[in-house]
Amino acid sequence: METLDFTNPRARHARLGKSIGQSGYFIMLCVAIAGLVGGGALALVHVHYGYSLIGVGLLALMPAIWWRYELSNVPPTDNTFMGRLSYDGLRLFKPGQPYSPATLWGAISRDPQALFFTNHLLLHPNDLEKCFSADSTALQPVLDTATHIADGYGSRTIEISHITAALLQTSPVVTELLTHMKLTPADVQAVSDWCQRLFEAVHAKPQNFGGIGRDWASGFTPRLNQFGHNISEAIERHGAHFGALVDSPGVHDMKMAFSQGAGALALIGPDGIGKTSHAFALAQNVLAEAQDPALQHKQIIELDATAIISAARQPGQLEFILTSLLNEAAHAGNIILFMDDAQLFFHGGPGSFDATQILLPAVQGRAVPIVFAMTPHDYQTLRANNMALAGLLTPVMLRERPESEVLEIVADSASQFEGRHHLLITYAAIKTAYTLSGRYETDTAYPGKAIRLLEQSLTHANNHVVVPESVEAAIEQTRGVKAGTAAPVEAADLLQLEDRIHQRMINQKRAVEVVANALRRARAGVSNPKRPIGSFLFLGPTGVGKTELAKAIAATYFGSEANMIRLDMSEYQQEGDVSRILSDGQHETKSLILSVRQQPFSVVLLDEIEKAHPNILNLLLQMLDEGMLTDTGGRTVSFKDCIVIATSNAGADSIRAHIERGEELEQFESSFVDELINGGQFRPELINRFDEVVLFRPLKPDELAQVVRLMLAEVNKTLASQNIAVELTDAAISRIVEAGNDPRLGARPMRRALQRAVENTVAGKILRQEAKPGDHITLDATDLSI
Amino acid sequence: MFMLDLFTWWYGSGWAGVLGATKRRLAGLAEAFSTKTLLHTLFAPWRRIITYPGASIDAKLRAFGDNLVSRCVGFTVRFFVLLAAAISFIVLCGIGFAELIVWPLLPLLALALIVKGLL
Repeated sequence: METLDFTNPRARHARLGKSIGQSGYFIMLCVAIAGLVGGGALALVHVHYGYSLIGVGLLALMPAIWWRYELSNVPPTDNTFMGRLSYDGLRLFKPGQPYSPATLWGAISRDPQALFFTNHLLLHPNDLEKCFSADSTALQPVLDTATHIADGYGSRTIEISHITAALLQTSPVVTELLTHMKLTPADVQAVSDWCQRLFEAVHAKPQNFGGIGRDWASGFTPRLNQFGHNISEAIERHGAHFGALVDSPGVHDMKMAFSQGAGALALIGPDGIGKTSHAFALAQNVLAEAQDPALQHKQIIELDATAIISAARQPGQLEFILTSLLNEAAHAGNIILFMDDAQLFFHGGPGSFDATQILLPAVQGRAVPIVFAMTPHDYQTLRANNMALAGLLTPVMLRERPESEVLEIVADSASQFEGRHHLLITYAAIKTAYTLSGRYETDTAYPGKAIRLLEQSLTHANNHVVVPESVEAAIEQTRGVKAGTAAPVEAADLLQLEDRIHQRMINQKRAVEVVANALRRARAGVSNPKRPIGSFLFLGPTGVGKTELAKAIAATYFGSEANMIRLDMSEYQQEGDVSRILSDGQHETKSLILSVRQQPFSVVLLDEIEKAHPNILNLLLQMLDEGMLTDTGGRTVSFKDCIVIATSNAGADSIRAHIERGEELEQFESSFVDELINGGQFRPELINRFDEVVLFRPLKPDELAQVVRLMLAEVNKTLASQNIAVELTDAAISRIVEAGNDPRLGARPMRRALQRAVENTVAGKILRQEAKPGDHITLDATDLSI
Repeated sequence: MFMLDLFTWWYGSGWAGVLGATKRRLAGLAEAFSTKTLLHTLFAPWRRIITYPGASIDAKLRAFGDNLVSRCVGFTVRFFVLLAAAISFIVLCGIGFAELIVWPLLPLLALALIVKGLL
């Protein structure tokens, strides 16, 4: 068992180095210079004391050198914990004091590396002190873990960050605290990795990329400097920040392709995957370590399509500029051209031009290595339009990195945001940005979409701290989605969902309860996030409130009835109608996919689902199962933010019969669904895909009377502009119910009956000037003109 | 303790470090002057300023002459840079050697000078 002996020479030297400090070093240096110069001058004029002064100067120089090369960093001596503890660690601990995990934390808790952990995990240093054992025998596992962590990073020294990570990882109390904060030991490890990457970046020695004569055997590139951006030069001047990307599979593939003689590459990947970053990482890799003659000392220059287009003022000038740029790059001999958004060079149109006829001979002749960055869609378009050019390009496919690597890249970007905007981004916020961008930004790839969402979250920082709620606020603002777990006010709304729906729905308590429970499950985050928020099959006779409930859900959950996409499935009975569902807008201007893309947070109401073509029902299976559909252009559209409701009148007579026999819905729900499946009206796999099958019962006369009252309230809203209010007596309501009640059509004829009875009567009174603003009209059964 | 620690380092890892520091300085010098690249491209044309030969004998001769001039310019520049590198190399080696010799004598020299001045 190792003891922490802070009286050993390394620890002593570290403390001495700390007490001398930078200022002590400069004083010693000044004394040395003054002694040497002054003493030398005096010795020259034969003043004897001058020699003594030189001697004093030399004596002052010795400790200055000692401080500079030993005391200011105290290099490691052996493989023990004390032999490897960093200078920062050594100078923090006091000798002659027994150490336990708690006192160890007390000594390091204010160090910047320890604060990096507590800040990014939102842990308070004082709270943490109570989490660590005060027993000195519990120290050894911490020291062993810290040593293991340092070994894992290939670090010769054991830094404060390694000790902090070890303390957090070995304390069961901290693990419990983290669990309470929805964090895991893996998150501590991730923050430790993040801290290590930053530490290495800060302490990286300046690299030499070839010296003064490196480019003397290469040509001048004045035009390329004008129309391009030298990525390699930028990295040399400002340093590089591409971390693990430099040795990523994408960069490796590009290097291999050029080494094996490829003339031009198509760097293919969806938006957000980091095609430009890969070009920068390739430039850094080539500068730092390329030994292959095909790559050594190569400079990567990004061509600026906009600058080229804007410089061409006469016909033919565009072609002339591009040709001269290619010639210059070829002549220079050390250039790799990078064409970002390569489609700008392949298609004529605003902001782009078709340069394929100029590029083709350059690529064919392998005059200059070129990297064309493009999306898979652009690559397919190029293959379709210009196979000759596409066939010459060696494709390098960029694929999404695993979650852990994406989180690393996002964390590294977060460090840059923190520096630029002087705020703190917690690790939980980074994870939330990853999760929410994955869920709501389906058009772009990682890591770009997570980084963009995190950047949008900066404006929602609270006291200069970006937390998961900031990210949720950003996605709610940009996408209009309720992304967070229910806030207190909203929780109350959700708990009273039934009451809110019943303000506009009469009865159907069972249906409302089932739907409300399902929506609460979704909002609380306990349902499957890869499927729509909710999916329901509403079954029941016409006019019993199926559509009204769908509207009520749209209004209650998404804030407006306008958030409803309604499709009458009786219009989709042909096989060819599938394209009307999936159209990407090129041939059909209206489709379900387009509607959902424009308004992803909606109730999708599929009326009379049983009438749709079987192929369309198959699409519905996919939509309910995977939460997404692919349009005719190959782009996916997410339905994960939709509530999908299908309605059907199938079995309406059977429901009515059950109710008339006095049965409650709960009693025959299950057998009724079996009846539908056995009768071939619905396939079992479709029924099983819905979260809930909801039965609606026919309305009773007293319920219809309540419907009339609700409709009357709507009429009064219309009349409010004329300052006239209408009231119906119970007899009048009964009369309207009697006139409008049709067991086959439910409450549907009631609106017509009300219109005939009330609106016609009131209209007549207004025209006859029997009613004027401010009047309160009470209508009895005898007043109604039905 | 301070003086003991100082002298222990001075005649131990400090003295050994002088050799390592000299090696690092020489490696940095070779990198900074691109010696390897300059030796490989000693006779290459200066910044690829070359004339491509035409079909006629005259044009070929003219191109040969132009390119010879470019190569001469390239050689001259590289030669003098390599010469500067070689001189710097020798100077650094000399400094390193002197450091190695003077280093152990410095404490004694300091004491001797103090005594000499006082006497």
